[in-house]
Amino acid sequence: MEVEGRDMASIRGDTDEPRKFDLPVDSEHKATEFRVLSTAAPHMRAFHLSWVSFFSCFVSTFAAPPLLPIIRDNLNLTATDIGNAGIASVSGAVFARIAMGTTCDLFGPRLASASLILITAPAVYFTSIASSPISFLLLRFCTGFSIATFVSTQFWMSSMFSGPVVGTANGVAGGWGNLGGGATQLIMPLVFGVIRDIGAIKFTAWRIAFFIPALFQTLAAFAVLIFGQDLPDGNFSGLQNSGDKQKDEFSRVFYHGATNYRGWILALTYGYCFGVELTVDNIIAEYFYDRFNLELHTAGMIAASFGLANIVSRPAGGMISDITAKRFGMRGRLWALWVMQTLGGVFCVILGQVGSLTASIIVMIIFSMFVQAACGLTFGVVPFVSRRSLGVISGMTGGGGNVGAVLTQLIFFKGSKYSKETGITLMGVMIICCTLPIMLIYFPQWGGMFCGPSKNITTEEDYYLSEWNSKEKQKGFHQSSLKFADNSRSERGRSRVNTTTIPPNQV
Amino acid sequence: MAARGLLLASIYLSLLMHECYGVTLFSSLQKTLQVTTTTKRGQVLKAGEDKVTITWGLNQSLAAGTDSAYKTVKVQLCFAPVSQKDRAWRKTEDHLNKDKTCSFKIVEKPYNKSLQTLDWIIESDVPTATYFVRAYALNAERHEVAYGQSTNDQKTTNLFDIQAITGRHASLDIASVCFSVFSIVALFGFFFHEKRKARMSQQK
Repeated sequence: MEVEGRDMASIRGDTDEPRKFDLPVDSEHKATEFRVLSTAAPHMRAFHLSWVSFFSCFVSTFAAPPLLPIIRDNLNLTATDIGNAGIASVSGAVFARIAMGTTCDLFGPRLASASLILITAPAVYFTSIASSPISFLLLRFCTGFSIATFVSTQFWMSSMFSGPVVGTANGVAGGWGNLGGGATQLIMPLVFGVIRDIGAIKFTAWRIAFFIPALFQTLAAFAVLIFGQDLPDGNFSGLQNSGDKQKDEFSRVFYHGATNYRGWILALTYGYCFGVELTVDNIIAEYFYDRFNLELHTAGMIAASFGLANIVSRPAGGMISDITAKRFGMRGRLWALWVMQTLGGVFCVILGQVGSLTASIIVMIIFSMFVQAACGLTFGVVPFVSRRSLGVISGMTGGGGNVGAVLTQLIFFKGSKYSKETGITLMGVMIICCTLPIMLIYFPQWGGMFCGPSKNITTEEDYYLSEWNSKEKQKGFHQSSLKFADNSRSERGRSRVNTTTIPPNQV
Repeated sequence: MAARGLLLASIYLSLLMHECYGVTLFSSLQKTLQVTTTTKRGQVLKAGEDKVTITWGLNQSLAAGTDSAYKTVKVQLCFAPVSQKDRAWRKTEDHLNKDKTCSFKIVEKPYNKSLQTLDWIIESDVPTATYFVRAYALNAERHEVAYGQSTNDQKTTNLFDIQAITGRHASLDIASVCFSVFSIVALFGFFFHEKRKARMSQQK
């Protein structure tokens, strides 16, 4: 259970030396409070490092769209080239996110995220020397891999923050990172303007401008490597050497992740909140420009405001998840997720139907809040699906988000089959339909949307230890899952936590 | 909420400003001007280097007094249909406010009855495409009242190609490669350093 550390007394875990943390922690040394303005090591420092590095990846991935009016003339792009590059930019991350999840499980989020960020930085540097539609598409494809750092962000937060605040931590880190997609629509034109005013010609100025997101990305990766730490007690490699953390086996980790049906359901539903968000990022400026005959920069400002809503809406989703969990446990988290995402779908349908500019902007903002909150709520559930394969589940869910973006753009927004407004309405219908599977998620120890916990007394230990076989348990590999199971008892909701007896610790 | 209100207000204002301009239709303009260019068929001109000699003036066979309202002439570089295909941002619309065919201004001069010539050096921000030249005659209120172009009505004759500059420089190429190599080398440097630290702590 929670350990009150407010008097800063030394916290004894299973290690020999007492360890002092600036924030109150639980038995796994995960923080039980989330103080956004603090930079205390290791918890809040990890938070700031992860959201800033993720933000830099979003800035780089979506740096091209605001400068497209210049780039399309320089590289002689057609609308098809631009559309294909847009799809390419989000499709790379589909498999990258799953790979990232596994890498986090095996090597830790610090090395995993910094490696990916540094490996994709060259793609951003080379965008400065792009010379044809094909090179442009390939560069956007490669740059898009970097937003797989979403998975390492969520994994890192789930490793640093305890159940009662994990939704909030995940939501704020994810939301402030996603913000990069909106901020870049303002940053890149600004940087381009300054460089052009200094004296560069248009077709050179945009190339120089790309060095800014590239450098930001490189420096963010360095910061993660120098100042970051995988777990409250240290890095994976250090802990594995001292014997405090066992080095796990890839095939077992992957197996337990891939065979957990809840991961697949969340992958589908995340495709219809986050995937929809990515799709809208790519099409909304054009939609307002064409339908209401706005200036390109006005349409761009509206497009930016959709992404900028992330600063509050996604964190709010995470917080709502944690608040409903306090009272109703996991069942509350699932209900809140279903309600918010379905409402997002409803407002999407309305957005395609309204004909006036003011109504469209208002509906779009309401739609953005619900859809982004649903993203935050999804990652209030993900940390509890698996303990051993947290990375794989996070990766599957994150990858599912990108699959949703690719599918939605292919079905509704490629070519001239549907007008954009019809596409948006149909996308809303698809959101509502693809959110229904949340009703099928069931945790035997906590219940699901419509069913209570299992009649046979199932505990959190039974659920999380089922991921380890007896041989592994004999060697003691399951100790961290044991601690996690103990700490996750709060997911029973207020009514059950106090009345049920806690089983004795199994050694 | 105040920020939202400001955003809505600014959008309303920009919309209103659009409505204030008069609605001139291209189809309502008379083709009274003659425009010729010195380009040859199949010739590819380089932006920033080559020049085009453009001549424009009133069609002499028309009655006197046709040009009484003409105050200024605006000569523009316009996209040929082949360069507008699959590019909605260069679309031809009858409403001149929304028309994107002629995006580059070559020159704007007061109207003169005699034939005018200009040696125009193609500017460096002109994209790679196929073009023709069009001249609009504007009246005192700066509304288009007449036009002329260097191609026929179907925009198939006398088109010329312009090749844009790449915008690339050797220094940019070198900087990109250097920074990229640095990122990868730094990553392996960190790995190596971590492994060494782990080995040293194990030896202790």
